[in-house]
Amino acid sequence: MPSDRPWRLDARVKLAGAVGFVLAVVLAPPGSWRYLGVLALALAAAVVASGVSIPRLLARWLGFLVLVGFLAALAAGRVAESSGLSWRLAALDLVLRNGLALMAMTAMAQVTPWTEMLWAMRRLGMPPALAATLGFMYRYLFVLHDELTRMTVARRARSFGRRGLGFGALASLIGVLLGRALDREERVFAAMTARGWDGVPRTLDD
Amino acid sequence: MHIPDVLLSGGAAAATAAVGAAGLAHALRRVDRRHGPRTTSLMGMTAAFVFAAQMVNFPVGPGVSGHLLGGVLAAVLLGPWAGAVVIAAVLIVQCFLFQDGGVTALGANFVNMGLVGAVGGYAVYEPIRRALGGRRGILIGSMVAAWFSVLLAAGAFSIELGAGGRREDFLRILSWMALVHAVIGVGEALITGLVVRFVLTTRPELIEGPGAVEVEAEPSPGWASPVVAGLAVALAVAVFAAPFAASSPDGLEFVGEKFGFLPDEEAPPLVASPMAGYEAPLGDLGRVKKLATAAAGLIGTLTVFGFAWGMARVFAAGDVKREALVDAV
Repeated sequence: MPSDRPWRLDARVKLAGAVGFVLAVVLAPPGSWRYLGVLALALAAAVVASGVSIPRLLARWLGFLVLVGFLAALAAGRVAESSGLSWRLAALDLVLRNGLALMAMTAMAQVTPWTEMLWAMRRLGMPPALAATLGFMYRYLFVLHDELTRMTVARRARSFGRRGLGFGALASLIGVLLGRALDREERVFAAMTARGWDGVPRTLDD
Repeated sequence: MHIPDVLLSGGAAAATAAVGAAGLAHALRRVDRRHGPRTTSLMGMTAAFVFAAQMVNFPVGPGVSGHLLGGVLAAVLLGPWAGAVVIAAVLIVQCFLFQDGGVTALGANFVNMGLVGAVGGYAVYEPIRRALGGRRGILIGSMVAAWFSVLLAAGAFSIELGAGGRREDFLRILSWMALVHAVIGVGEALITGLVVRFVLTTRPELIEGPGAVEVEAEPSPGWASPVVAGLAVALAVAVFAAPFAASSPDGLEFVGEKFGFLPDEEAPPLVASPMAGYEAPLGDLGRVKKLATAAAGLIGTLTVFGFAWGMARVFAAGDVKREALVDAV
């Protein structure tokens, strides 16, 4: 596998590149279509080089489009006034630029495993306590997701697939999940303490 | 609702990024000083829990569902600053891993949900909990705090989105946000209350117990919290009263003009009378929405208080007895 493929790049480069691209998009004055076109071509080249599934990227973008459109309709008045664009063009500008930023971040996330991204964030100056919290969170996220899936399946089995659970039952589900989560944390923390955990995470990269 | 990239003005994004970074640094310092090596493990698990809890969909109506936001719940479990760090972790994962919320709006999102939502919500929760005492205090306090935290976050969001624009635009955004978030706020209060009540009846030690207290115990100055709470409530009231100050046409009308399904697109948008014939009915529409916004605030507040009192009755009888029992043991 050639080593210049994007997923082989240093995660710091990818992270800084994506955030830098977003900044370039955000800081562009409204209505600078040609500049945005150049950025879009650059992004398209990067996306093609990375081999990310393009339909998947587009689907993600479409998923966010409703919310973005609503907010763009609210914010377009401000942009239209400060830039002299018509209201419709201002809204279009907001939606397009948001799409570019979203694409860049999505593509970056697709070619950068979260552990590498976290490592890059730590190297780029994220406070250690926050980085450690994010590490634990990521570790427990899938555990809790599995727990939630198991609980949902069990619940469905007991209620014979009846739909329309009440708020109370769903809140109890969350309450039980909280209990199990904190119990698990206590157990794992005790085990980590027994193995010399002192609050400072150490990885093989350090 | 996470703010995506681009929609904030540059100044608003920079300002909220600075405030958010300073707030997060302060929160991390406070948390670090108080907890031992367990801090990050506990906060990481709580963040994962909030994230997972947000995946549980509460059916509201056909095709519409809501979910827990969890800022107040995290603050009630771990204390305000650890709660803010938990929300920051959730936001960072949502931003970088799932692209929910923009990178350049991360500061604004953290200000709204972490600082205003969790820390501000806790400032509302704490005086109520102390005044009422016991489990009723915890339940009612967390529900009222959840309601206000959502409204305050919506208010902060409107300020950020409207910053740098005209006053009319800002008020238009504010009244839309207040209307939408009055509904979301009642939902958040209900779900938070149901979860807190369930935990208080089945596993009270998770909220009241030594683990939680150890994390939460903080000799806060007696006056600061009520003052912040009073300020928060006043601001929330202002969110609903503000649309009355608007002298502009209604937002829907504004959008309508702009899309061209109302006549006369060439006229400047906010001039008093772009379409003479329709002025009266649309003026009425504007008034109706102002009234609706204010009514939503009033009804929402009353609903939340009503639910909170009703749900807290579970604890009214048993609370004191159970505490006495614990003391005896």
